Amino acid sequence: MRHIRVMTPVALVAAAALAACAPSGGPNNKGSGDPSGGPTGVATDIGDEPVTLKLMSTPESGESTLKAIEAFKSVKPNNTNEYDQTNYEDYNNSLNLALASDTAPDIVLLNAVGVTVKNGLVKDLSQYAQAYGWEDAVPANQLAQWRVAADGATLGEGPLYASPAGFSLVGVYYNKALARQVGIDPLPTTIDEFKAALSKARDAGVLPLQLGNGEGHASFPVQLIGQAVDGPASHVPWVYGHAGATFDTPGNRQGLDMLAEWARDGYLPDGANGADLQGAVNNFIQGKGLFFVDGAWDAAKIADGLGDDAGFFAFPGATGIGTSVAYGISSASKNPDAAAAFLDFMQTAAAGRFQYEQGFMPVDASAITETTGVKADLLRAWNQVGEADGLVGFNNNATATMNDTLMRTTQEIIGGRLDTDGAIAQIQADWQETHGA
Amino acid sequence: MTTAPVATGVRRVSLRDAAGAAGGRRPPSPGRRRPEGATASEVGRARRKAVGIGLGFLAPAAAFYLLFVILPWLHSIQISFYDWDGVGEGTWAGLRNYAKVFSEPALVDALTNAVGFILFYTVVPVLLGLILAQIIAARRRRGEGVLRTILFLPQILPLVAVGTVFRYLYGQDGPINQVLTWIGLGGAKRAWLGDFSTAYVAVGIVGTWVTTGLCTVLMLAGIQKIDPELYEAARLDGAGKAAEFRYITAPGLRREVVVASMITMVSALASFDVVYATTMGGPGSVTMVPGVMIYQLVFMANRVGVACALATVLSAFTLCLVAALNRLGRER
Repeated sequence: MRHIRVMTPVALVAAAALAACAPSGGPNNKGSGDPSGGPTGVATDIGDEPVTLKLMSTPESGESTLKAIEAFKSVKPNNTNEYDQTNYEDYNNSLNLALASDTAPDIVLLNAVGVTVKNGLVKDLSQYAQAYGWEDAVPANQLAQWRVAADGATLGEGPLYASPAGFSLVGVYYNKALARQVGIDPLPTTIDEFKAALSKARDAGVLPLQLGNGEGHASFPVQLIGQAVDGPASHVPWVYGHAGATFDTPGNRQGLDMLAEWARDGYLPDGANGADLQGAVNNFIQGKGLFFVDGAWDAAKIADGLGDDAGFFAFPGATGIGTSVAYGISSASKNPDAAAAFLDFMQTAAAGRFQYEQGFMPVDASAITETTGVKADLLRAWNQVGEADGLVGFNNNATATMNDTLMRTTQEIIGGRLDTDGAIAQIQADWQETHGA
Repeated sequence: MTTAPVATGVRRVSLRDAAGAAGGRRPPSPGRRRPEGATASEVGRARRKAVGIGLGFLAPAAAFYLLFVILPWLHSIQISFYDWDGVGEGTWAGLRNYAKVFSEPALVDALTNAVGFILFYTVVPVLLGLILAQIIAARRRRGEGVLRTILFLPQILPLVAVGTVFRYLYGQDGPINQVLTWIGLGGAKRAWLGDFSTAYVAVGIVGTWVTTGLCTVLMLAGIQKIDPELYEAARLDGAGKAAEFRYITAPGLRREVVVASMITMVSALASFDVVYATTMGGPGSVTMVPGVMIYQLVFMANRVGVACALATVLSAFTLCLVAALNRLGRER
């Protein structure tokens, strides 16, 4: 398959030699956790024996991980991490097979837990979490999505299977020039204000919302409206697959209704169903659209494209969709202690800097000093959502097939082929298939 | 004038192989002919030796075919009787997966969509190929080789590249919509691949674009084997171009039509690349085909058993169609 080897081990050693003079890799920057070890069977002292670990990731989170690997060399010179990356989709398709193979990697990026945890391919990290104090460093609702119950499908409870290195947030990008032109000031903080802003834009001849739904990204605004109306906490059980939860809520209904209205009344770009996410990002950068609901991962591209006109705010109601860039340890790893030491390093302020540069929110933000620009907006929104306890995981991850189901149903709603009742029935049927009583 | 004239020396080698495979005729093998002056037992020994050598040559390819085609195929049939997530232990499911293939709307839709694509991948290209070949072959021109190469070009392009280019062409701001706007038809502008009413046909046209060249080149080669005297006789009898096509070219190309139909029908039913690169089965599921569905079932839904059942049904159906076509090519 398309397999991109970013760095050979030889090159990595050379890079590690350079890392000694890298500006951000210091051994004493640890800002979180307690490395002194806990009363458990795992060791936080990884000794001086040379250890080589294999790490697998995707380009989306690769840059920051590579920098962390370089920086870690100056903390633990005896620890070599070999980095390997594959594009997102192929990565998800091949991860389980790689973990089950004889040449399993030690550290893997986890995008979903389902089959991976069910088949015992990654280690229970609870003891490391206790030893390193991850539960103090990372907000509980962020660790929760990596906890999997014994049935292998219910999240939010049970042992911990991954350690977050950074976080992503879905909110609203906006074009400041268009906001000035339309006269939107202050930014909307309630659903009604958001709707009013959209109408105002349309009346002024400005496209209210940029959207590319070729891959189903209309599910983001639908989910956010649902959370804003129902309250984020009430949506968590459904996302985590807790028995008895339902998608049929007033908020989700309103989200789907609004999507249909937007499509009907010209709030969305023509051909939204035919554009993919990157197409929508490109359109937004070209000044098409006042608002654009998207994740932190496109922050760098949007900041480059729109310059000073780029802005970001938390979805009205201070709610957000988010997950973490989280790494797990292979059950086959011969050096889990060394792997855990690196996972802990990725939570430090020094490593957090790399996450921030790539558009993710760091676990420890103490090294971030910027106050302007889209990334600073993102960090502000992240804190705001955190304070309001407004973060929920992606609806798209509720089951293995939910992403496809949401894609299909939102496309049909935009195309006028399906009503809200039909969409809710299909979405809930998918959920029942996995989590049903 | 209904039977096709038997080929005379002008046929091209590749085509003879293709037609031979389709019609059951085989080129003469070296062991068949008795050398002059040899006794029966000598011939028998020589034949056995030839068979031995033949098997020896066949063995490596046969081993690979067995290892990488037959065994995986049998394995996938085996998996189709299990519930399996692709990693852990599978549990026996009996015929449950097959029941799902014929009852889950998404899977049934995928199968019917694939059958529908035969119109775009096979029927239209074969008809176009017949007509184009007749036009091209009507008069010898300079640059015929170049023309054939150009016609064949879509066949050698990677389908993912083809799909990506068409996604651009069909895009909201793509060339097709730009031309429409130019000529004053801006009202018809749309995201052709994202619109429920046009996506299926738009994807189908990509298939037509890909396979028409192959069909035309096959037909062209076939036309060259038709005895020119037939055309001359027809012309003397006062037949027009249409009558020539109807009574000489079309019947004379029956074998080529069967070969072209077989190849293109298989690519219609097994299509993956084009749909994957253009629509991923969307919008909704109007362009979903079994190839993409199987991929999603295995890698996203972790329903490997159902995916293998769908694959088995698809390959059984394809085999039946091919067998039927084969008969059609042999009869009369």
